[in-house]
Amino acid sequence: MSFRPSEASGEILSRAASSPSAPIVLISDTSFRYAHDDAGAGPDNPSADSAAPAPTGTAPSTPESAAPSELALSHVNLTIRPGETVMLCGQSGCGKTTVTRLVNGLIPNFFHGSLAGSQSVCGLTNGTPAGSGSPVSPGDADSAACTAPVPIEALVPLVGSVFQNPKTQYFNADTTSELAFPCENVGMEPATIRARVNDVAQRFNIGHLLDRSVFKLSGGEKQRLAVAAATMLNPRVIVMDEPTSNLDATAMRDLHDMVAALKRDGVTVVIAEHRLAWCADLVDRYVLFENGAVAGEYTTAEFSALPPQQLESWGLRALDLAPYRAALRKKTGATGVTPAGVTQSGATSSAEPSGAAPSAKSLDASTASSTGPVIDSASRHSSAPETTHHSSNINDVPIIATRDLVVGYQRAFRRGVTDLALRGGDIVGLMGRNGAGKSTLVRTLCGLQRPLGGQVLLHGKPAKPAALTRAGFLVMQDVNYQLFADSAREELLLGLGDAGDAIRQPVEVTVAPSNAVRSSSSSATPLGVSVRGGIIGASSSATPHLHPATLGEQADRVLESLDLLPFAERHPMSLSGGQKQRLAIASAIMCGKGLIVLDEPTSGLDRAHMMQVGTLLRGLADQGKAVLVVTHDEELAALWCDRIIDLDGNAPATNKENS
Amino acid sequence: MTNPSSASSARADSRAGSRSTSQRGTHSGVRLDPRAKLYLLLLANLLLFFHVDTRGEAIMVALFLLPLFVAGRWRNGLRLAVLYFALLGLGLWSDAATMSGSGGSGGSLIGMIGGGVTDTAAGSSGTTVAAEDVAATAASATDAFVTAGHVAGLLSVGIRMMMPCLITGAYAFTTTSISEFVCAMRRMRVPEAIVIPCMVVIRFFPTIVHDYRQIRNAMALRGIAAGRFALVRHPVQSLEFIIVPLLMNATFVSRDLSVAALTKGLGIAGEHTCMTVIRMCWFDWAYMAVCTAPLALAIGGVL
Repeated sequence: MSFRPSEASGEILSRAASSPSAPIVLISDTSFRYAHDDAGAGPDNPSADSAAPAPTGTAPSTPESAAPSELALSHVNLTIRPGETVMLCGQSGCGKTTVTRLVNGLIPNFFHGSLAGSQSVCGLTNGTPAGSGSPVSPGDADSAACTAPVPIEALVPLVGSVFQNPKTQYFNADTTSELAFPCENVGMEPATIRARVNDVAQRFNIGHLLDRSVFKLSGGEKQRLAVAAATMLNPRVIVMDEPTSNLDATAMRDLHDMVAALKRDGVTVVIAEHRLAWCADLVDRYVLFENGAVAGEYTTAEFSALPPQQLESWGLRALDLAPYRAALRKKTGATGVTPAGVTQSGATSSAEPSGAAPSAKSLDASTASSTGPVIDSASRHSSAPETTHHSSNINDVPIIATRDLVVGYQRAFRRGVTDLALRGGDIVGLMGRNGAGKSTLVRTLCGLQRPLGGQVLLHGKPAKPAALTRAGFLVMQDVNYQLFADSAREELLLGLGDAGDAIRQPVEVTVAPSNAVRSSSSSATPLGVSVRGGIIGASSSATPHLHPATLGEQADRVLESLDLLPFAERHPMSLSGGQKQRLAIASAIMCGKGLIVLDEPTSGLDRAHMMQVGTLLRGLADQGKAVLVVTHDEELAALWCDRIIDLDGNAPATNKENS
Repeated sequence: MTNPSSASSARADSRAGSRSTSQRGTHSGVRLDPRAKLYLLLLANLLLFFHVDTRGEAIMVALFLLPLFVAGRWRNGLRLAVLYFALLGLGLWSDAATMSGSGGSGGSLIGMIGGGVTDTAAGSSGTTVAAEDVAATAASATDAFVTAGHVAGLLSVGIRMMMPCLITGAYAFTTTSISEFVCAMRRMRVPEAIVIPCMVVIRFFPTIVHDYRQIRNAMALRGIAAGRFALVRHPVQSLEFIIVPLLMNATFVSRDLSVAALTKGLGIAGEHTCMTVIRMCWFDWAYMAVCTAPLALAIGGVL
């Protein structure tokens, strides 16, 4: 209660006739459809995505992609009382983000479309009578003031917003200016602004972040700063749109503490999230969205009483991460302490060759995904196919191994890495807090930067960075950087020489059985999780052994194996985020890379899409690739990784043993 | 309820007060006002525009370098100073070299080329040509020396004339925070329609650098235009591979940025204030005057 409304927000508050007991956010019978041009789509996701025929129209890292023809929200009623902490949850594209945009006024002021119903935030009512459904005015920032909808400027002192991507929510280049920015915009006195900045810094304990370049902050620090900046005007409501999708566990704890502080001060907090665990103790109410409608509202007690399987069937992440953490510890303990090479080869030799057929495997996957949180079964599944048809390929020589490796930059950063070995068929998770050197290690393994000491062994022989670059592939968190061509097929043929072969060829018969598997399994599992496991399993046996006449055929086969064939002629940038991810991987397969590294492949994904990515990883490993996943996602790591390298607990050069 | 809050705010006020006074204290002694910096930049451009002679230029450069050192930018300042005076020395040397090459120096380049042409034309007559060749190489050794002098002079003068702008620019941009610049622009009554794009441009530079690195990495991983010389060998294609993802990302970033800015009230009508306080003090005025004087004298032809 130590915060009073500022003098600037005060005058606007007086316009908003609000009594303390009235609902602070009242959304009644609201429907919304994004206009075609801006589609409300995230960066990865322009239009026509969910209309894609494949069952794997995977979500982008910024979801909420209703195709323009669909309603993003349909007849939503939502009441939020002052001081409540409300969690909006649901699968990608369910309308969570659209609701947050209604609350902070981006709809209808920035994202245009046809809006029906009435929305009232802090007493400011968007007075569209229910059911009229008239398209809103082209509310330009300035002209909006004289038209019907509440201008976004009126909401600025009332609603603070935190967005998903820490990289792009700063308008200023240094932290103090960013904090001062909202105050400057409402015209506060300089002395008041400085006092306010210091106040907020003290309140959230971020004094050490002041006066720094925002480009030098870690993701977690950026997000803390974003929350602090959102509170600068003492808003009565804070909306957060997937604030944790790029954060590690420590940063999430910090964020949790900030939300707790806000809650103590009586601020209404609305969070739209996939990851539920980080603030489970703070949330008063859960609102479940499904296909743009409210599917249910639960109090905390009701929600936590729900069985985990129920949450999974809704596509939600786990509320309680304890079992996942336990599984992670087991996997880390198995290989992180003892020399990696020894345990791994032991595991490979001890497991009996099961010779799992693709169909059997996909069945296994589907059962694993449907029976849910039974992590053991999932991990059993994930370790079983190691010994399938590629046991001959997985000999004792790892694809990539390191010896006394020291990674870092000349002046700034330096750390030793315990020797590690990545074999074909392995999915290895690389975890550790922000700044532990994960990305530096990965860049070194891919040959993008030189090691400061030690060696990287490629197939048992010391390799130069250039050779590593040829052998490894990094799927970046932002896949947009990696796609260069005009169509998906050309993307695969790029750099492979003669593109004249890129003629569409009929699909080989060998892939047909997997199609049968796909149709059956996709009908069985609505999530479509097991789908790609089957297909990759089939193609993994098909691709390496066949020698197609042309590169074009081969490209088609790789596209087919990743469910991308229907999009072969589409421009890569018109694909959804998940499709782009798979296209990047397809290009790596096409180049015959042995090591595939994925950087945070599941950030901002709901459970179903996370499982899809997991299946994809499994499929890659089954093709004999070594798969390394850099991730903060404990669920992904626990369910799909064979072992975990934890850079936090990984003391440099404790053991020199290497196969 | 109000007591602790007022106490804390008082504490914060006092802290803020002490910080601002400390800022002002450092400001008057060490740093110029951003507006004074912009004025120096303007003077440097005038210097380039009016073709001031070498002596006046050297004086101006010394004046421009001084605040860089005072602001504690030793490395930067030294580097620029060394570069400038090296170029100056090179220019003087090339003057001397070409002058000593006498009146023929101007035509030496042409003479050399002409000689080469006649050589090849008269190439049929055997031994005499060889003898002539020896003589020609001996002559062209000095000729080449003089030509090198010309080229060096050309380059040194060209770069040297840019140096004042570079120095003042480096000073203005390395010692001023963006908020100070924004504040300066607002105090100069620059319309928001210019201030905001400037902020965005400054904001975008690091993003573009970051994006460029990412794209180059991705290209290396894909084996597209990999290696240092690929950009030179296939410039158009490589540029396309770089520019298209760069622009794609820029559009995404700009959308996210405008969303973030709108929710923070960038679009609010009325005067926007600045947290940073800037003030012109006597020192700023004095230094501006000191820098203006030699330029005016040089332009007027007195110096």
